[in-house]
Amino acid sequence: MTQGTPLDWPGAEDQLPPDTWGRGPARESWLPWSFVFLVALLVAGRVLLAPYLTAPALQTWATIFVAVCVQALPFLVFGVALSAAITAFVPASFWTRALPRKTYAAVPVAGVAGAVLPGCECASVPVASGLMARGVEPAAALAFLLASPAINPVVLVATAVAFPGDPAMVVARFGASLTVAVLAGWIWARFGRSEWLPVPRRTAAPGQGKGGAFLDAMCHDLLHTGGFLVIGGLTAATLNVVVPRSWLTSVAGVPVVSVLVLALLAVLLSICSEADAFVAASLTAFSPTAKLAFLVVGPMVDLKLIALQAGTFGRAFAWRFVPLTLTLAIGVSFVTGWVLL
Amino acid sequence: MKRQTQSLMLLILGGALLNISAFSGTYVNYVKPGFRPLIIGAGVVLVGLALVALVRQWRDPSEHGHEHGHSHGPRVAWLLAVPVFAIVLVAPPALGSFAAGSEDDAPAPRPPTPVAYRQLSGGVPELALGEFIGRAYDPAGTSLAGRQVRLTGFVVPSKKKNRWYVTRMQISCCAADALALKVAVQGVPAPRENSWVQVTGEWIPWKGKIPNGYVIPDMSATDVTKIDQPVEPYE
Repeated sequence: MTQGTPLDWPGAEDQLPPDTWGRGPARESWLPWSFVFLVALLVAGRVLLAPYLTAPALQTWATIFVAVCVQALPFLVFGVALSAAITAFVPASFWTRALPRKTYAAVPVAGVAGAVLPGCECASVPVASGLMARGVEPAAALAFLLASPAINPVVLVATAVAFPGDPAMVVARFGASLTVAVLAGWIWARFGRSEWLPVPRRTAAPGQGKGGAFLDAMCHDLLHTGGFLVIGGLTAATLNVVVPRSWLTSVAGVPVVSVLVLALLAVLLSICSEADAFVAASLTAFSPTAKLAFLVVGPMVDLKLIALQAGTFGRAFAWRFVPLTLTLAIGVSFVTGWVLL
Repeated sequence: MKRQTQSLMLLILGGALLNISAFSGTYVNYVKPGFRPLIIGAGVVLVGLALVALVRQWRDPSEHGHEHGHSHGPRVAWLLAVPVFAIVLVAPPALGSFAAGSEDDAPAPRPPTPVAYRQLSGGVPELALGEFIGRAYDPAGTSLAGRQVRLTGFVVPSKKKNRWYVTRMQISCCAADALALKVAVQGVPAPRENSWVQVTGEWIPWKGKIPNGYVIPDMSATDVTKIDQPVEPYE
């Protein structure tokens, strides 16, 4: 296990009983009984419960929940592998050479660099954490975190396909997302405090090879971010089923409110950034600016991401960073929509 | 969470992913068919990682971890069992009439973009619901007028009398972004809710101009046949 304490639940250390409470290595049996119990539960449930779990609302909820998880897991695995590779194989000196020394210059460079990671938001969180662990300035890593899921080529092509004959939307999305990422990075560089964002320190355990460090980092990050992905998936699926979408049409015509409503919808639905353009295009009753807000907010702030960020960087970070990004994203969308669309 | 438990958790998660993608086709209920290689890849990585970790732990149980007090993994990782439970216990089916909703003002489908539609082939052509709706909104002409076509979808009842909806969900990435494509069917009694059918009938042209907002197109049906759920439930 890596020295990943800052990544764990804050306070988890304190709640655990001291080592003298029979957690010593000698007395531990190899077989993990809690897991055996879990599997027994699974088998018993399959036989006893499964025939009764057929209510349409429950099934719809489960379909959406499983869909969010299944769709996000490949990207999460990819992001975690990349992050672990950065930690284990790329020397810290590489980043000091690759990025400008001054933080204020490093932020836009890192934001533009986000364009090269062809994934959605699930991949960018572990990668940003890996970058920070390797000594990249947090503000720059955050700019990368925000920009990457919105401005990479896959997402831009998807946006162009979803809005045929409307290249202004692609330009507006790229410009607005990059602007928000850079502004958020600069604001964090100016006002952020290091105690809000405990930088994950990852050092290989003594006597451990690079391969071992890679495996350990990957296992730990997968379990950790995966768990938070599940929290996000649970929330998103619940809101997807509970909130009727018919109330949307009633506010579509109201100028400012419609933009705020679509921004909120982007937060609640937690759609992957590679698919959100199609959903935005289907909201025909809304103004282009409102759709732009949906596209800018979605990849930066949504329930799944809030859970992932809170888990990876800590709650003290998330409750400051999330409102900051949301405000910036909505504000910049208003301005960009007014200028370009 | 113990180290062995962590590895086993990754193992059952990877196993669940492989089970729905490599060993069966249920993944199409959740994501676009194109996702298959990605899901299989993720499953293989998870299972491989878990096996390597288990072998290392079995060979040398005290290899690392215990001595510096970090043998417990993140507790939140227990939640990874939830999707496994959902897949095994609920075995979530493709989205059906509950998700499509019976309201008329349910989420509108993709806007009918101006696509140059080709002439329909002879006989009774089979159309995707999206194409049928697109053609109904086609400003260029009325390629549907007077033509018998066949549509495939599941049954959603309507609150209005003497009609029901033949429906198909459209997804662009995963089931969380699904939209319901609906065509209102008149002239034949509604089959059982949520059953899959093929409807043969004729588009009922708009009264007057093409509507500005989204209105569900109507079809006057002559025949409805029950079918099995298609391999790819979404459009």
